[in-house]
Amino acid sequence: MGTEGSERKLIREAQRGSREALAALYAMHWPRAQRAAYLVVHDAAAAEDIAQEAFLAAVDGLDRFDRRRPFAPWLHRIVVNRAIDWGRREALRAGAGDSEGRAAAERIDESASELMPALAQLPPEQRAVVVLRYLLEYTPGEIGRMLELPRGTVNSRLRRGLDRLRDLIEVEG
Amino acid sequence: MSEDRLRTLLREEPLPGAAEAERRGLALVERAYAERRPAERPVLPRLALALAAAALLAALLLSPAGAAVRNWIDDVFTAGVRNAQPALTRIPGGGRLLVESRRGPWVVQPDGSRRLLGGYDEASWSPHGLFVAAAAGRTLNAIEPDGTPHWSVSATGPVSDPRWSPSGFRIAYLAGQALRTIGADGTAGHLVGPAAPVTPAWFPPGPHFLAYVDTTRKLRVVETDTGQTLAAVDSSPGVAAIDWAADGRALLEASSDGLWLRHLRFAKLAEGFRVGRAQRIALPTGAFLRTAAFAPWGRDIAVLLERRVRTGVPRSEALLIDADGGPPRRLFAVSGRLSQLAWSPDGSRLLIAWPAADQWLFLPLGRRGHLQAIGNISSIFSPGHRGRAPFPRIEGWCCPAAPAGSG
Repeated sequence: MGTEGSERKLIREAQRGSREALAALYAMHWPRAQRAAYLVVHDAAAAEDIAQEAFLAAVDGLDRFDRRRPFAPWLHRIVVNRAIDWGRREALRAGAGDSEGRAAAERIDESASELMPALAQLPPEQRAVVVLRYLLEYTPGEIGRMLELPRGTVNSRLRRGLDRLRDLIEVEG
Repeated sequence: MSEDRLRTLLREEPLPGAAEAERRGLALVERAYAERRPAERPVLPRLALALAAAALLAALLLSPAGAAVRNWIDDVFTAGVRNAQPALTRIPGGGRLLVESRRGPWVVQPDGSRRLLGGYDEASWSPHGLFVAAAAGRTLNAIEPDGTPHWSVSATGPVSDPRWSPSGFRIAYLAGQALRTIGADGTAGHLVGPAAPVTPAWFPPGPHFLAYVDTTRKLRVVETDTGQTLAAVDSSPGVAAIDWAADGRALLEASSDGLWLRHLRFAKLAEGFRVGRAQRIALPTGAFLRTAAFAPWGRDIAVLLERRVRTGVPRSEALLIDADGGPPRRLFAVSGRLSQLAWSPDGSRLLIAWPAADQWLFLPLGRRGHLQAIGNISSIFSPGHRGRAPFPRIEGWCCPAAPAGSG
């Protein structure tokens, strides 16, 4: 059975009250949800909160969930939108006058890889589309629907984000 | 940089505390899931739970201890304690603190002065505060509180959760999924067994008995010098932390979903002891546990609870629960998230973290004294950091007076 079929079965079982199915769904989706949130907000505690909130929303809406639809995009939509909101709020709180990315840049662990300081230079909205495209592998059209943006806006954010990251991460591995 | 390179970087970026976060999240989600199915619950237990909650609340408000702290209960803070001190110029109640920041652990002296120990990930005090055991990647290190390194050993897996035995002669730690011990001089290391990611707990009265949760979720107590298993029972569901009472006669298991107490009966030493059944400690309805810890003396358990509010910030409260029974004593309630607690070495105070308010709260437990709050905690432990710094983690509050020649 493929992942999609397996996921549908798990959702059905979870809707019927199977705690094991819920745990299996959680194990399937938590790591990427948490990672996606972390790569947008750059704060492990906030990422944990965001992923938790998304899963709690999933549990809350489980009975109404249409099993024919994939679970991941629905979950990731919540995660990424909340992460963007968090990033904007933090940027405001830090009083970032010149760049929304500065607040996140200041939170970067000094031991972090080359990626995090570079990502931190992007505003949260741009980080989100990069994460949705290159970590979670959504198409620009799907990203547009998740973030309620025109596809052209997604493409331009992706292009600008990639260009910036290329400038900041100098050497290919 | 190619798109494939970017994919690799995004997938492989280290995520701090991922395993613990996943565990905490699962417990929370399972609890929410259990609560979403009211129709499947028998009516009688629900009624019993409601009655128990009402009785607990009445006991809280009517008991002498509850009455004594009712003024604090009523004083529900919402955005940090007003008039918090803006700087850490002394530790209320004395002692020394070990505090983990993104730059590494700090030792805080009673006068508030601080020293950064270096680039270590996790640290814990030796029993008398003469040394610190610190994990850094795949190494375990013993250092002095002034940062002087003593020894370092390498492990095959990432080192975490170092804990010094009360005798001062052993350190237990996790290396990946292996629980290991080593002598306090950095020699005589050996494998105890495969372990779940739960911090092991040494038996406080002295012998080298160690409680831990293994990879099959058994709660085990072993004599680490001989390797003898003294007890092995199924751990309580979702256990994420364990702790001994100071007298070693009770063992606490905690998950975000509940709190269980096991009483221990000692047989002759050579025969080990019997671990009693897990008795669930009733928590207020709708609350889940953030953290709990036995007092360094006596049988009180300090507990931080959180109640999720569907809209708005969660509500947190600190309770004292007597392991021998009796009504819990509610100490403090806030609208917000309290996240860490540490007992003072003499058991007279609790230190509680309130990250959203960027405060530490020093809470006296006797009738004397008053709540003292210290603000700007993030920036205190991230000097030179522009903007809002990450909130640090309290690793320990040290220590009883040191006998000569001990750790």
